[in-house]
Amino acid sequence: MMDVLHWDGTLSAKDFRIGAFAFAQKWESRNLAFPPWSWLPCPKHPWLAPPKEEGYLSLEKICISRPNEEEDIDQISQIDTGEEETCCSGNEDVLDDATLVQSNHHELHYCDFQIVYSSTFRVPVLYFRAYCSDGRPLPLDEIEKELPACSSKELSKKKWTFITQEEHPYLKRPWYKLHPCGTAEWMKLLFLSDNANPKFEVVLELYLLSWFSVVGQVFGLRISFKISD
Amino acid sequence: MAKEGSGSILQFAPLQSSVDEGFWHRLSSLKLNKFGIDDSPIPISGFYAPCSHPQVSNHLTLLAESLLSDSNDESTMPSVIRGNRNRCSVPGILYNTNTMEGFHALDKQGLLKAEAMKIWEDIHSGKAVEDCAVLSRVLLISFADLKKWNFHYWFAFPALALDPPATLVDLRPASQWFTLEEAESVSTACNEWRNSSLTADVPFFLVSIGSDSHAAVRHLKDLEACQRDGQKLLFAFYDPCHLPNNPGWPLRNFLALISARWNLKTVRFLCYRENRGFADLNLSLVGEALITVQQGWREQQCVPNAVGWELNKGRKVPRCINLAKSMDPTRLAISAADLNLKLMRWRALPSLNLEILFSLKCLLLGAGTLGCQVARMLMAWGVRRITLLDNGRVAMSNPLRQSLYTLDDCHNGGDFKATAAVRSLQRIFPAVEAEGIVMAIPMPGHPVSSQEEKSVLEDCKRLNDLIDSHDVIFLLTDTRESRWLPTLLCANRNKITITAALGFDSFLVMRHGPGPFNSIPNLKAETEDSLAAGMDNLVLTNTDGQHRLGCYFCNDVVAPTDSTSNRTLDQQCTVTRPGLAPIASALAVELLVGILHHPNGIFAEAEIANSSSGGNFELPLGILPHQIRGSLPHFQQMTLLGHSSNSCTACCSTVVSEYRKRGMQFILQAINHPTYLEDVTGLTELMRSANSFQLDWDDDIEVADDECVKL
Repeated sequence: MMDVLHWDGTLSAKDFRIGAFAFAQKWESRNLAFPPWSWLPCPKHPWLAPPKEEGYLSLEKICISRPNEEEDIDQISQIDTGEEETCCSGNEDVLDDATLVQSNHHELHYCDFQIVYSSTFRVPVLYFRAYCSDGRPLPLDEIEKELPACSSKELSKKKWTFITQEEHPYLKRPWYKLHPCGTAEWMKLLFLSDNANPKFEVVLELYLLSWFSVVGQVFGLRISFKISD
Repeated sequence: MAKEGSGSILQFAPLQSSVDEGFWHRLSSLKLNKFGIDDSPIPISGFYAPCSHPQVSNHLTLLAESLLSDSNDESTMPSVIRGNRNRCSVPGILYNTNTMEGFHALDKQGLLKAEAMKIWEDIHSGKAVEDCAVLSRVLLISFADLKKWNFHYWFAFPALALDPPATLVDLRPASQWFTLEEAESVSTACNEWRNSSLTADVPFFLVSIGSDSHAAVRHLKDLEACQRDGQKLLFAFYDPCHLPNNPGWPLRNFLALISARWNLKTVRFLCYRENRGFADLNLSLVGEALITVQQGWREQQCVPNAVGWELNKGRKVPRCINLAKSMDPTRLAISAADLNLKLMRWRALPSLNLEILFSLKCLLLGAGTLGCQVARMLMAWGVRRITLLDNGRVAMSNPLRQSLYTLDDCHNGGDFKATAAVRSLQRIFPAVEAEGIVMAIPMPGHPVSSQEEKSVLEDCKRLNDLIDSHDVIFLLTDTRESRWLPTLLCANRNKITITAALGFDSFLVMRHGPGPFNSIPNLKAETEDSLAAGMDNLVLTNTDGQHRLGCYFCNDVVAPTDSTSNRTLDQQCTVTRPGLAPIASALAVELLVGILHHPNGIFAEAEIANSSSGGNFELPLGILPHQIRGSLPHFQQMTLLGHSSNSCTACCSTVVSEYRKRGMQFILQAINHPTYLEDVTGLTELMRSANSFQLDWDDDIEVADDECVKL
């Protein structure tokens, strides 16, 4: 049995899976504001049997826009629609009387989150990407505008909230992530700052919860319960 | 809020599209690897789900899985479970053109009609009753510009238009239409329908309510049975729309089916919407529509009109999305490199000045073992503007030691090193701004004939201009004399100059001190009047020879002469232990980064490595030495300091002022007359007086290989 005092703050891949399920359960039971996390198995080559343990947690389409935002003018589509208007004839019956013509609804921004295990750092890593309601991806500077005001301070101050862009290990497309190289250190601090000397099983049960309560703050995702529960 | 119609036209909220980035990635991949220029229509699947939020409609979404999987794609995604409760699939078709003109030339109305026809046929054949998912279709036209990564696209959601349009009799929240008991039963029945994997993705269904308020959800094909039972019957569908006063788009084709197949004139419908995964009868709507008999609708040949092209912010124009940032390999390489350096700064070196590295222009004289390695190290540090100068060609033995070349560069006599090096750098990092100059450096002691004079002078001028237009010059050539002219020109212009020189098993890396004529940036001289600024100030602390750090030639007592002829073979070709060049090159670049981060830059004083300094440095990058001399046999390295010499043939004030006075004529004289430089600097005198002491360093100098550096 692992002695927590000598623990280095990291998790094995197997422990990550256990911790992930514990986290998803607690999230679902207590966090009514958000949909539940899904566990997705890691895709593998067809000629290899997929290892059952490997997977990641996914949470999709979380609205990160603040309410009553002014509609952003989409620069790109503005330019392009300028060009293309001249080429389009008006012959098409795009509308008929039975089609409701809607006034401009304001553009909402959404975020997909994934919690993926890093075998290099042996800790969970939060991957995210953001997009508009029509699917157009949002660059980091636009995402940062949506983050809570204190978050930009957090980003510059706290070593563990550094955002980098990297190819997603399974989806093979660029996603943003919060760089994990400080995670083990502060996870260890989190647990050992308690005067109680918890058993490792307890640590594992609460690991992802505690971890997320820190990294989630970047996005203003607050978990509504105490870690000591 | 009930909406009393009494004849108002039933207006449907159009579907809205949402395309996940992954869809474009997969389309690009298929286009590049599989389809090529084939522009036949491609089957796709859209996905939608009932509305799950009171303020936001659900979109019809295209994902990577919407396209058939690319068999060349190594990262196989788990095949989508076609139809789960959050993804009702909508069959569709994609017309992707090869050109922008082709995109605009597509017969949009024709394509829309063709898709509408498919729905119409399915209605009449009964297929739509068996598999109601075919009542909705998606048509997408696109043009993927895979050079700029612009995706132009336009969606249509074909809807058969009733003529005359249906009118709305009543529309209200479902909770206001059902009794409490009915509502509870309907919710339960719908939740069961949604939770069963057999029916979760069946978007059109019947809700029949008995006199006991018990509700049952049935498939469309059970309509006759339900009608026989004489119970209350609602035509229900998954409604992606959230609006309280309008049903969503899928109802259009549903009404067309109901009218054409079953000839009903009054239709009671349920817009099924959810909240948090459960039926929400406050959000859901129940309405009643009146359909007038359509002229000829029972005949299949008579295809009704179709509408459904999606508006773009209210305008009849296609949409465009640019994905260069996430798809263009060069952009990805740039952002990856930038982030890498920023990571270093964030974790280890907060004072790292990346901006200065990104904007720096480096000139590398020599593209051999040293030049290739220095170039690579510079790129690793984020330097993007690199010029390489070399007049040689890549020889067969070069690729082994000169890390930018491969065998391909050696064919047909070998490419010019300067151009091959630039190509190689671009292959490593496409965003590098690299330039290759094929040119020989004029050297003293290698006299030129009068015919060659003109071109040699041009080369001198060209070298001067190159040095002027760069911030840092690396002297990485393989002879001592080829370093003379660049040293002089750099001293004249006070450019940061770094020399690396190799012996057989030893090396020297050093930074040249500032030139003899200069002013220190942060002294009072800057703030004095412009009179002083225009003059050549010999500032006290930088008086020639006193505190100024020396250049490569300062320690020499002999002017650079022709060292290449009369050498033995192994002295002519550069034969050094292979490990030396990478070590020396790496140190040269690290030394440069140290200079750039020193507040005094080129004027920085020299420091010696001291074992007692431990890990505490004044500057985050550590000490900034003047010279580093290393020996492989000892696996040792020393830092040394050498001041400038008053008699230096390259950088003393005499030489530099002669050059300033007479320019190219002075250079020419130095090139053509072997003893000229010694005379000018007074070295001749020095040697004569030294000779009289009969020192034996004479022997060492004659034998000295120009590359060997005395330790």
